[in-house]
Order: sequence, then structure tokens, then C-alpha cells
Amino acid sequence: MTGCDHVRPELGGYVLGGLQPEEAAAVREHLATCAECAAEHASLAGLPRLLALAAPMAEAGPPAPALEERVLDAIAGERPHRAPRRRRFLRPRVLLPTAAALAVIAVALVIALGGGEESAPGGFEVALKPVAGATAKGRAVLASGDAGIKMQLWVRGLPRDPGIVYEVHCDAPGWSASAGTFRADSHGRAYVVLNTAARRGEYDAIRVVRRSRSSETDVLQAKL
Amino acid sequence: MAPSDVQLIQRVRADETGEAMRALYRTYSGELYGFALNALGERGAAEEVVQEVFTRAWRHAATYDARRGSVRTWLYQIARHAIIDMRRRASVRPSLALHAPSEADAGEGGPTIEQAMLGWQVVAALDRLTPEHRQVIRLAHFQGLSMREIAERCELPVGTVKSRTWYALRSLRLVLEEMGIR
Repeated sequence: MTGCDHVRPELGGYVLGGLQPEEAAAVREHLATCAECAAEHASLAGLPRLLALAAPMAEAGPPAPALEERVLDAIAGERPHRAPRRRRFLRPRVLLPTAAALAVIAVALVIALGGGEESAPGGFEVALKPVAGATAKGRAVLASGDAGIKMQLWVRGLPRDPGIVYEVHCDAPGWSASAGTFRADSHGRAYVVLNTAARRGEYDAIRVVRRSRSSETDVLQAKL
Repeated sequence: MAPSDVQLIQRVRADETGEAMRALYRTYSGELYGFALNALGERGAAEEVVQEVFTRAWRHAATYDARRGSVRTWLYQIARHAIIDMRRRASVRPSLALHAPSEADAGEGGPTIEQAMLGWQVVAALDRLTPEHRQVIRLAHFQGLSMREIAERCELPVGTVKSRTWYALRSLRLVLEEMGIR
């Protein structure tokens, strides 16, 4: 066995500091005189430094398995909810339209096509008809969004009294969601943009009511 | 083909199933946890950092720019900030006994991002060795046993342990070279 054959297998233990002192001395002596073995040693000599970097990472071990779900739950909690629990936003219907009122409601669902009408990109237009005794007319353009329905509302023919407050309801059998309140100007007109948590398909009628302290009176209605 | 990390990051915001984030978590949580644990010295705090990293990554996924670095580097940078924040909180909450910053890395403590990333790659390289090769390196380097002690413990001739250690290091060097580490 040549010196090299004897020394090569020792290089692993030598590099990792695992040889006996006399063995290490013999290797050192050989490396000083053998370029080939010195090159082999040089190619391994940097490994302890890299292994030292690995040690703390390897010792850490994995995090607790439950952390994965905790992380994903935390992120899910930050995600804006696309389907909010509806009932939170709803309240019991205040007024039921009378049978007579329903009888005179003419429903018109018109896809906005322009032609003199203001356009309604991404929404659809609903004509609001006066409930018995009322003289107002109106239309609404409805657009679905993450927050619910955005409603642009045009009304005319209302009493010329800015003191009167009107409220818009989105109705379904058994419940009603408010889309907000507005007032008419001194010409009895109003243009407002309202929002309601009700989503498309969750309500089947829009109702504009005149509010007073003790009651609400239906003014306009549309059935979808 | 599995999506790349960049694709996963681009997907996390819109992905309501959470699977893109789960894939990223499974790839990087181990090393980020090791990084945080070495910096903070406390498992609970390290787990909080890991949670914070992925939550921030989700929040700021749109700001990730692949031209400025890998997803891995980006996550480590987020982790470094989260560790600094954790230290600040710990300094006003003395009950949280975290490691004091080391002399070598004043102000941060623990390995640098580069050291941690490199360390983790070496861990990954060790995983690719045979169990026998991994074992001799673990016993010799991590446990500091001599060739003779390993021979006794493993009931092997000392010559076998020596040659196995040599081959193990050669294999490790080869794997690291394949990973671009020299």
C-alpha cells in the first residue's frame, strides 16, 4: 500500500477532526509532500464550515404540525368574505304593501341600452312605479359588487319638500334590507347612489317609502 | 407540472382554497422556523414569526418582484423584519426571554439570512446522502465523536468508519456542487 492509498481514506476523519493525534500528524506530513492528496484535502476542507451552518438549522427541527393550519386560518381570517352572513344586515319588514298597492304595481325590467337613457354599465335598470295615490316616478340602476348592490336612483315628481325623508328598501318575503335614505330637492327630484348589503337574487322588490316619526308610507315600488 | 414559487406567490391572493399558500408553507416553513429559532431561541416566538411571515407574504404578495430576488430570499427578508419586530416587542415585554443578540451579529442575533439559507441547503444536501453516510457525518461533525468512538458505537472496524467518512464527505461535496455550492 502506497502512502497515498493509506492516507486518502484518512482524509475524511482528518477534515472532521476525528483522528488520533498521531494519525493526524502522519496525514499532515504526507499532505505537505503530496500535491495530489493535498488537492483532495483542499476539496473537502471547506465542508466543516458549511456543516457548521447546517447544524443550527438541523437542530431546530420542524415547527409544530398545528402551525400549518394556524397560519392558513390566520390568512383565511384576513381574506375579505365574499358571502357575508346575510341576516346580520337584515331587519324585519316594517310595512307590508297592501293588496291594492300590489295590484297597481306595474313591473318593468329594462336592460339599459342607451338610446337617450343614461347608460348602466354592468348593471340593470328597473322602473319604479308609483304606489296608489303617489305621483312620483323613478328608475334605479343596480350593479352587483362585493359589498352588495350599488343602486343609482333617479326619482321625480316627489313633493317639493326637502324636509321629507325617503328610505329605499330591498324586499324579499319575510325580510327587508335598507339601501339608505335620501331627500328630494326643491323641484321634487332626487338622484342618489345607495348601497345595500342585499345581493342579487336575495330580494325581489325595491320599495321607496316616505318616512315619518311613527310610520312609513310606500311611494314607489318595483318588483324584480 | 408543479407551479413555481413565483406562480404560487402570484396566485395566493386570488386562491380562496388556500392551496397555493399551503404549498409555499410546506416548502419554506421548516427553514424559516430554523432561521427564527436560531435568532430568537424560543420555539413559541419562532412559530409566531413563521405565522407572521406567511401572513405578511399573503398581504403583500402583489409587491413581490421576481427580478429583485427569489421567493425564498423574499420570505427570509420578511422573516428578518418579523424577528426584529419580535425583539422590539420582547424588549418592552421582559417576560419574553429571548436570546440576546450575539456579539458577531449585533442588533439581530442568530445567523444572517445568507448563513441560514446556506445552512438549510446543506441540510437538504445531507438529506440526499445515504443513511450510512449521513450517520457518520452526524456522529463525527455534529456530535464530535472520533473515528474510533464511532467504530465502537457502530460496532464497525475503524478502517471501515474512516473510509465511509471519506466517501461521505466526497458525496456531500458532489451534491453541494450540483446545488451550485462550492
